[in-house]
Amino acid sequence: MTALAPAPHAATAASVAERAPKHRPSPERIAAGLTLAALVVASLFALNSLGISLPSMLESWSNAERFFTRVGSISFPEPLELVQLTALTLGIVVTGTLFAAICSVPIAYLAASNTTPGPGWRAAARFITVFTRALPDVVLAMVFVLLFSLGSLPGILAIGIHSIGMISKLFADAIEQIDEGPRRAVRAAGGSKLQEFTSGILPQVLPSWVATVLHRNDINLRGSVVLGYVGVAGLGLEMSHAFKSLNYSLGLGVAIVMFALCVLMEIISSAVRRAMLHGGRASGGPLAATTVEAAARRPWTGSRVRTTVWGWVTAALLIGAIAVCNIQWGDLVTVWAKIPPVAAQFWPPSFGAYDWTRMSGAMLETIAIALAAAVLTLLASIVIGSFAARNVAPNPGTRAGARFLLVGIRGVPEVILAIVLIVITGLGAQAGTLALAFGGIGLAGKLIADSLEEVKGGPERAITATGASRFQRYAAATLPQGAPAIIGHSFYLLDTNIRAATILGIVGGGGIGYYLLNAGQGSNYGVVTAIVLMILVTVLAVEGLAMWMRRVFR
Amino acid sequence: MPSPVIEVRDLDKRFDRTLALQGVELTIDRGEIVVLLGLSGSGKSTLLRHLDGLETPTSGSVRVLGEEVPRLRGRRLRALRGRVGFVFQQFELVPSLTVLENVLTGSLARLRGPRLGLWSYPRRLKLAALGHLDRVGLLDRAYQRADTLSGGQQQRVAIARALMQEPEILLADEPVASLDPESSEQVMALIREIAMDAGLTVVCSLHQVDLALAWGDRIVGLRGGRLVLDTPTEGLGKAEVMEIYGRVATATAELEAIETELADASSEASPERAEPLAEGAGR
Ligand SMILES: Nc1ncnc2c1ncn2[C@@H]1O[C@H](COP(=O)(O)OP(=O)(O)OP(=O)(O)O)[C@@H](O)[C@H]1O
Ligand SMILES: [Mg+2]
Repeated sequence: MTALAPAPHAATAASVAERAPKHRPSPERIAAGLTLAALVVASLFALNSLGISLPSMLESWSNAERFFTRVGSISFPEPLELVQLTALTLGIVVTGTLFAAICSVPIAYLAASNTTPGPGWRAAARFITVFTRALPDVVLAMVFVLLFSLGSLPGILAIGIHSIGMISKLFADAIEQIDEGPRRAVRAAGGSKLQEFTSGILPQVLPSWVATVLHRNDINLRGSVVLGYVGVAGLGLEMSHAFKSLNYSLGLGVAIVMFALCVLMEIISSAVRRAMLHGGRASGGPLAATTVEAAARRPWTGSRVRTTVWGWVTAALLIGAIAVCNIQWGDLVTVWAKIPPVAAQFWPPSFGAYDWTRMSGAMLETIAIALAAAVLTLLASIVIGSFAARNVAPNPGTRAGARFLLVGIRGVPEVILAIVLIVITGLGAQAGTLALAFGGIGLAGKLIADSLEEVKGGPERAITATGASRFQRYAAATLPQGAPAIIGHSFYLLDTNIRAATILGIVGGGGIGYYLLNAGQGSNYGVVTAIVLMILVTVLAVEGLAMWMRRVFR
Repeated sequence: MPSPVIEVRDLDKRFDRTLALQGVELTIDRGEIVVLLGLSGSGKSTLLRHLDGLETPTSGSVRVLGEEVPRLRGRRLRALRGRVGFVFQQFELVPSLTVLENVLTGSLARLRGPRLGLWSYPRRLKLAALGHLDRVGLLDRAYQRADTLSGGQQQRVAIARALMQEPEILLADEPVASLDPESSEQVMALIREIAMDAGLTVVCSLHQVDLALAWGDRIVGLRGGRLVLDTPTEGLGKAEVMEIYGRVATATAELEAIETELADASSEASPERAEPLAEGAGR
């Protein structure tokens, strides 16, 4: 909004500054700007209150040295046991992700605006996506461990239910972006609603669905280690036992295995995604057959052989994953009787032995960790991300190097890094914050680099034409154009950080998670409920804030 | 004695503020090949969509193959749609599926439940689909992805898909508006040939007068949602069609629009309109 210039007769006398139209941003933008400023100040306070500074980091280095002299060498579980634990961990994660992937199809169908049968269905489906995403998988695992006591079901269900939210949200977004034409053609040919979906919509969104599921599977594998702390079988449980019994050398050994597993899975899933993107369009040339009967036999072209082989390999892996879990299917029948008494233990919510100031303090510490990590990530990602942008990097080599660095960082599972840092430096919240901050750089740096590459080239050329230096051009044309997108990414980062920070405490990283674990282990389930409610409110508030900010600064 | 397969009586259709169709009366007998002619926005697509139950009338009656279309719901509506083939301007194939599977989706009305993948269709239908592909000259492309074909080839696949329905009526909404002149020629000839062989009733919208005259047995002209012309093509010249348009055009501005539109339409069949689809398919 701009105001008109003053009346002409006054204009002749007035200076240019007075005559210039006044810039009046909308109230919403002002509010958003103030919120942004407040958050920046809060982040600086957070950094300060967590005691993150160069001297303390140097000091922790000597802690680490002392730690390693004390621990000596790193040890691993027996080979056979190691294989079993690894298989079980992978089995639980894959089966859980598969469960979520299947559930997400009907939920996304109900949630997408162009397929939903009605607004009521849509609201219900949206509620499920938001709620399952906000509910930490650790909390779900705590509850399911009570219900099922032994076996792999608690882990599968915790991972599965928590993952439904993200997969169905992204799947619903993909459904909303389809080309409606093929679907209309199926309708015009007399297809039913279900046939419209399977023949007209599904083939269009299948690749994005598979990519989302693979991505979620990576996230779930990284997170699975925390589930071990609340009793879910696998490598995570082995590691938490080792650390609890002060067997640091074994604990670190398991952490290294887990680390390698995550990196391996990431490499596999990105290879699959790439193959799908490029190989999917491969298409055999024209058919030699000249009669209909001959053409009915589809020739075994290279691409058909590949698709078939990979299809069977995938099916075998999925069946293997389910088999390895050795699911006690009977439990799914008997569990219903246990639900009422267990549910009764979780109600009413209470703070038990703790008081409100203590709990709100812990929650604030969690928020501080998320904020501090976000600001550190942002500083590093703007630097690395800028060098990774084609229009900023001084030469292609620098860009390639920066991109490579970002991919490498993205491969590091931050939860495991946090556990290792916490153990070897003996610092809780600081180590957790640094791990979170480091882990965020991979994605944030990539998003920032992509956004900077997308800015309009014209203004950059214009600034260069005025004789400005590279850096001046970056500051005057590139960064200002990329700023709205960077603000958007920052809030996405804050949103994921809050979720991660709540569970960081479970592995000793400070904040509310510590109390959550304590309450669960002490069977104070009313306290668990109270803490979960606090987490839900915080996570949903940050998500709402992030959505608002991204809308205002678009 | 020919019996009408399409009877439209006093059809009105209103979208918010625009009256897309007003008092349209139209009777078409079995086996007729009819061209709907009209400028952009005259209501051609809207009328065709009513015939397949893809749009509900504001008032009036639409009888197709003896059924009152707006009254049909659920299974009975789908059954009627199964008996009426529809060819779209933008082909509307599923880009990531093979040509053969795209053709097979034409048989969905006769199948129960969802289908995905060639293996989910019975062999009998697969052979039929290959037969239709052979008919449109694309048997050798059966196992290629639909988006690897040219525009003209894609439209021929879409025709094979409509044939897969074993339709009694074929509706086509500007089937060649996205194609270059040569493919247009091919596709239109193909539709006519198939229609003659199978005794199909065809209603096809076009905006090129030349093409309409050469191709149809009967021309039905729409202007501003009203039927302004309904005549056999035999012995009719382009000048006469223009004249009829001219007589009913009230303002000079409208006349000019008609003339430029008709000139444009016959000189170039805008191939650039095919581009958005190609882009969408590449996603
Ligand atoms: N779904 C809709 N909502 C609102 N208005 C519509 C809708 N569909 C069509 N119309 C309007 O109805 C009128 C007739 O449109 P229609 O698409 O039938 O014209 P057409 O003759 O097919 O034109 P074209 O040659 O451009 O395809 C136009 O004014 C159009 O804007
Ligand atoms: Mg139209």
